[in-house]
Amino acid sequence: MMWLGIAGLALPSPSPAAVPGANIFSSPLLLSVLVWVPVIMAVAIAILPNPRGRFDVLMKQIAFFTNVGLVFVLWIAYNQFESFLSTPQFAENQPWLAAIGASYHLGVDGPGMTMLLLSGLIGIVSVLASLGIRERVRSYFCLLLLAQASINGAIVARDMFVLILFWTASAVPLALLILGWGGPRRNAAAWRLVGYWGLGTGALVIATMTLYFVTGGTSFDMDVLLKATNISPRVQVIVGLLLIVAAATRLPLFPFHGWARDLYAEAPIGVTVVVAGSATRLGAYLLLRGLVAAEPAAAQVLAPLMAALAALTVGYAAVAALRMADIRHSGGYLAMIPGGVTVLGLAALSPLSIAGAVLSLFAGGLAAALIVGVCATLAERAQSRSLLVLGGLAPRMPILTWLLIIGGLAVLGVPLLATFPALLMTFFGSFKNQPIGAFAVAAGLAVAAVAIAMLLRRVLFGVPNPDAPGVSDASLGESWYLGLLAGALLWIGIFPTGPKLPGTDAPIFDPGLIKTMSAGVSEMASPYVMATPTPGATK
Amino acid sequence: MPLIVITPLTAFVIAITSVRTRRSSANLAMFGVVVTLALTLLAGWGLAKTKTPFLHAYQYINMPVAFSGPVNFQSFAVDIVLRVDHITVAALVAIELCMLGVLGWHQVMGRSEPGPARFHALISLLLFACVAALVSWDLAELFAFWGLAGAVTYLLLAHRWGSDEAAIRARVALALPFVTDLSLLCGIAWLYSRYGLQNLTTLVPILHTNPGWTERSLVVAAILLFIGVAGRLALWPLHSWLTRNAVTAPPAALALVQAVWSVIAIVVLYRLMPIIAASNAQTVKALLYACGVTAIVAPLLALVGNEPRRIITLLGVGATAVGAAVVIHGFRVPNATFAIAGVACVLAIAPARAAGVLVVSAIASAMRTDNMAEMGEAWTRMRVSAIALLISVVVLALGASGALAFGVSSRSLLGLALGEALLLVSIGGVRVFLTIALSPLRRRRTFEPDRVREAPQASLTWLFLLGVGGLAIFVASLVPAWLRFLDGNRHPTPSVGAYVLWVLVALIGFAAIGIAYFRNREGALRAAALAGAWFARLGYASSRGFARFIVAPATEIAVRIGDRWIPAGDAGVGSALETTGRFAVAGTRLPVLPIVVALAVVLTLAVGLASPGVFK
Repeated sequence: MMWLGIAGLALPSPSPAAVPGANIFSSPLLLSVLVWVPVIMAVAIAILPNPRGRFDVLMKQIAFFTNVGLVFVLWIAYNQFESFLSTPQFAENQPWLAAIGASYHLGVDGPGMTMLLLSGLIGIVSVLASLGIRERVRSYFCLLLLAQASINGAIVARDMFVLILFWTASAVPLALLILGWGGPRRNAAAWRLVGYWGLGTGALVIATMTLYFVTGGTSFDMDVLLKATNISPRVQVIVGLLLIVAAATRLPLFPFHGWARDLYAEAPIGVTVVVAGSATRLGAYLLLRGLVAAEPAAAQVLAPLMAALAALTVGYAAVAALRMADIRHSGGYLAMIPGGVTVLGLAALSPLSIAGAVLSLFAGGLAAALIVGVCATLAERAQSRSLLVLGGLAPRMPILTWLLIIGGLAVLGVPLLATFPALLMTFFGSFKNQPIGAFAVAAGLAVAAVAIAMLLRRVLFGVPNPDAPGVSDASLGESWYLGLLAGALLWIGIFPTGPKLPGTDAPIFDPGLIKTMSAGVSEMASPYVMATPTPGATK
Repeated sequence: MPLIVITPLTAFVIAITSVRTRRSSANLAMFGVVVTLALTLLAGWGLAKTKTPFLHAYQYINMPVAFSGPVNFQSFAVDIVLRVDHITVAALVAIELCMLGVLGWHQVMGRSEPGPARFHALISLLLFACVAALVSWDLAELFAFWGLAGAVTYLLLAHRWGSDEAAIRARVALALPFVTDLSLLCGIAWLYSRYGLQNLTTLVPILHTNPGWTERSLVVAAILLFIGVAGRLALWPLHSWLTRNAVTAPPAALALVQAVWSVIAIVVLYRLMPIIAASNAQTVKALLYACGVTAIVAPLLALVGNEPRRIITLLGVGATAVGAAVVIHGFRVPNATFAIAGVACVLAIAPARAAGVLVVSAIASAMRTDNMAEMGEAWTRMRVSAIALLISVVVLALGASGALAFGVSSRSLLGLALGEALLLVSIGGVRVFLTIALSPLRRRRTFEPDRVREAPQASLTWLFLLGVGGLAIFVASLVPAWLRFLDGNRHPTPSVGAYVLWVLVALIGFAAIGIAYFRNREGALRAAALAGAWFARLGYASSRGFARFIVAPATEIAVRIGDRWIPAGDAGVGSALETTGRFAVAGTRLPVLPIVVALAVVLTLAVGLASPGVFK
C-alpha cells in the first residue's frame, strides 16, 4: 500500500486541490517512512563493506540523500497538511503489546508537523556539517541516522510507551557519537549527557506510569492518558513536576543544564547541530503536549515555576556567556536562550503565548543550531577556541563573520529572522499572566545582547592577534550548512505565512508555517482562554 | 506608495548581490536615496490635494488562536500597514535630505574608510528600515522595523572592523539601545495583553472604554513606551551609545544615525502620545520633567571636555530634548495643538546635527587632532567649513525657539527650564565655533599649521545642503502654515514678542560665550578640559565599580556553577553510584544464610518498634 502510494498511483488526498503539492501522492505509512527509513539506511550503511575506507564518500552520500528524500516527503506532507483540523493527521495505529496496552500509534498535529520540519532540515544540515569526518565514517553516519530516526519517532509518537522508547533511544547514539568522535573532554561530555538525560527519562517514566495506573492501567495511548478527566489535581501536579524535570534535563533549563556546555564544546559539529536544533526541542515539545495540553490544572499551578525556570535559564545563560573564554562554550550558553523563551510562552498559558512557544520551537531550534554551529566552525577554521587568542577575524573570514552576526541576532529575536515573530507572540501573550516572568526574560535578553556584543567584538572586530594561528574562511560545505540555517531563519522571518501570489491569498509552494503550526493549538489553549472582562474601569 | 518602501530595499539587495567597488556602491546608495526622495515628494504632492492619508495594508501574520473569549484576543494579526500622512512626508524628506548630504560628503571625505560596499549597503538598509518605521501604523510592525534599524545602526557604528577601540566602544551601541528597544517591545506587549490590538487607529479610541482597562496598566505602558523612545532619542542618561562612539565611528555613520533616529523617535513619540497622555497627569508630568532634565544636562555635559564631535552630539541631544518636551507639553495642555511644533523643531535640528558632526570631523581631520583646544584659525584657513559650522550651530541653537514660542510660556517653570536649555545649547554651539574658527592654531609635534587646507569643494556643497536645509526647515517651523500642513490643525500665531524672546535667549547665549571667549579663552578651554577629564574619570570609576560590584559577582556565580558546583555535583553523584555499585557487587559475594537471618531479625525489630502493641 505504501509502495503504491509512493509510486504516485492515485490515492485519495485529504488536501484541497488549490495547495501546491496536493495529490502528488498520499501514503498511510508516511510517518513510519520518516522514522524507519533512516534506520533502514543506517543498517544498510552498517553492513555495507568498506575496505580501507574506499566507500566513505558513498556512505556520506547515502546519509545525505536519505535526508534529502525525507525532506522531500516532509515537504509534500507539509503542503497536504490540513491546517483547519485539530486532530492528528497521517495517523497510523497498530496494536502492538496488547497485554500492557501499548500500541504503535503515530500521528502529527500542527506543532508536531512543525517539529518534523525542523528535524528534517536539521538532518540535512547535520550531514553537511559532518562531511569533514574522516575516521570510522560508516559508524558515524550509522549512528547519526539512528539519532535522527529516534528524534522523529519521539515527535510523531502518540503512545507514551513508544514515546519513552524513542526518547530514551535518542540519547544512546548521541552519547556514542560524542565518545567516538568528540574532543579532549568527550568522556565527561558523554557521561554527563547520559546522566542528565537518564534522569529526565526516569522522571518521564515515573510520570507515565503514574498516569497509566491512575487511568486504569489499560492503555498507554496519549488519547487515553493525556485526556483523562478523572485525575485528581494533586496527581496532576506530581505528574507535571516530573514532566518539568524531564523537559528541563532535555532543553536544558537551569539548573539541569550541566551537560550542555561540555557537549556543545566537545561534540563533533554535526552532533552539536542535531542536539541544539532538534533533540533538545523535544523537552519543550513534551511540556507542550504532556503538561500544557493535557493537565490544565497542574499547568496553572506550575506556571510560575516554569516562568521562573525560563527567566533563570535566560539570565544565567547570558551571564555565563559573558565570562566564557572559549568560543564554543559561549555558543553553547547562548544556545540555551531560545529554550527559555519557549518555556516562557508555555508558562504564560495564553493562546497567543502557546502559539508563540510552538513557533519558538522551530525558530529557536534553528537559532540554537546556527549559533553553536558557527561557533564550532569558526573555532575549527581559526584553529583555536580561546577568546584570548581569537581577534579581528572579520576581514579574513567574511562568510563566518556574517553568519555569526546572523546567529547572534537570531538568538536575540531581531526582526527579519524567524525568532522575531516567535518572540513577539510569546511576549504579547505573556504579559497578561506572567508579567514578572516576561520582564525577567526581557532583562535576560538585554544581558544576552551585551554578551553577544562582547563576543562579536572579541572575535570578529578589533585588531588581529599576531600570535594567533592562521585562519581560513568557511568552506563550501560549511557555508552551505550554515547558510541553510540562516536562510531558513530569514525565510520564516520574512514569510511566516508563506509567500502569496500578488493580490490573492493563494500560496506559492509554501502554505505558511504559521498556518500549519496553528492546527491544534487552539484546542490545546482552550482551557486557558480568558473570560471576557466586565465593562467599567478599575483604578 | 509601497514603492517608497521597496526602493531602498531593492537598492540594498542589489548592493549585497552584485556591487563591490566603492564608486558603484556609493552611486547605488545615492540613487536609492534620490529615487526614494522623488517618490516621497510625489506622495507629498498627492497629499497636498487631500487631507486623507494614503493607506495600504498587507498581511504579515494572521492566525486564529482561540475560539472563545474576548473578540480582540481570538486571533492574532500583524499587518504591514503603510500610512503616509503629512508628518510622514516631512519626516521622510528630512531623513532623505540627511542621507543625501551624508552620502555625498562620505563619497569625498570617506575614501579611507574600509569596507565601502558594506557601508553603502547598510545605508540602503537603514533607509529601508527608517522609511518602513515611519509609515508603520501597527505597533508590532513599527517595532519590527525599529529593531531592524537598531541592528543596522550598530553595524554602522561598529563599521571599522580593524580597530580595537571602535569595537570596544561599539558594543554599547548594541547593548544600551537594545535594552530600551526591549522596553518598547514590553510596552507594546503590555498594551496588547490588555487591549488585544496593535493598530493605532483602532487602539487609541478604546483606551478608556475597553472592558477591563485600568489606569495602572496605561501608566506602565506609558513608561515603557517612553523609555523605548527615549533610548533612541538618546535622552540623558541613555545617550552614551552615541557619545561613546563619537570618535571611533565613521563620521558619516555617526552623523546619519543621530539625525535619522531623532526624526524617527520624535515622530513615533508624537504618535504614541495619545496613549501616554491617556494614563494620568502625574505620569505625563514625570516624563516631561525627564525631557526637561535632559534638555539641561546634555548641553551642560557638552560644556565639559573638548572633543568637538561629542559636543555637537550632546548639543543635538539637548535641542531634541526641548522638542520632545514641547511635544509632551502639547498633549498635557487641554485643547492645545502646539505639540506638532516640537516635531517641527526636531525636523529642523536633524540636518544641522548631521552637518555639525561632518564639518567638525573634516576640521579635526585637517588639523590632525580631536582636541578642540588644539584647533584654531579655521576662519582663515578653512573659511567655508567654518561658515558651514556656524550655520549648523546657529540652527542647533535656534531650532527649538520656534517650538517654545508656540506653546511654552516664559513665565512658567517649564519655560524657565527649557529657556535655560536653549541658552546652554547656544553657549555650547558658539563655543565650538569660536574655539575652532578664531583661536590661534599652534604648531605641534609633527603638525605644521600651514599645511591645513580647506576641505574639497565637493564635500562642502553637501555640508551647505544640510545646513541650509536645516535652516529652511527652521524658518518654516516658525510659520503656523507649516504646522497646519503637518497636522491639519489651525495654530494661533505666536506674538512677535514670544518669537523675539526665545531668539533673544539664544542670542544671549551667543553673547555670553563670546564675552567669555574674548576675555579668557585659554582659561575657559582649560576649565573645560579639566572638567572633561574629571567627568571621564568619574565615568571610568563608575563603570569600574559597576563591573566590580555587579558584573563580576554575577558572572563569578555563573562560572562557579558551571566550573565547580556542577562538576562537583556530578563527581559526587558519580562517587555515590560507584560506592553503591561496589556494595552491590560485594553483596553478591557474601554468604546468603547469615544475611537472611540478620535481615529477618532487623526487620522484625523495626516493625515491632514502629507498630505499638505488636509485642503484646
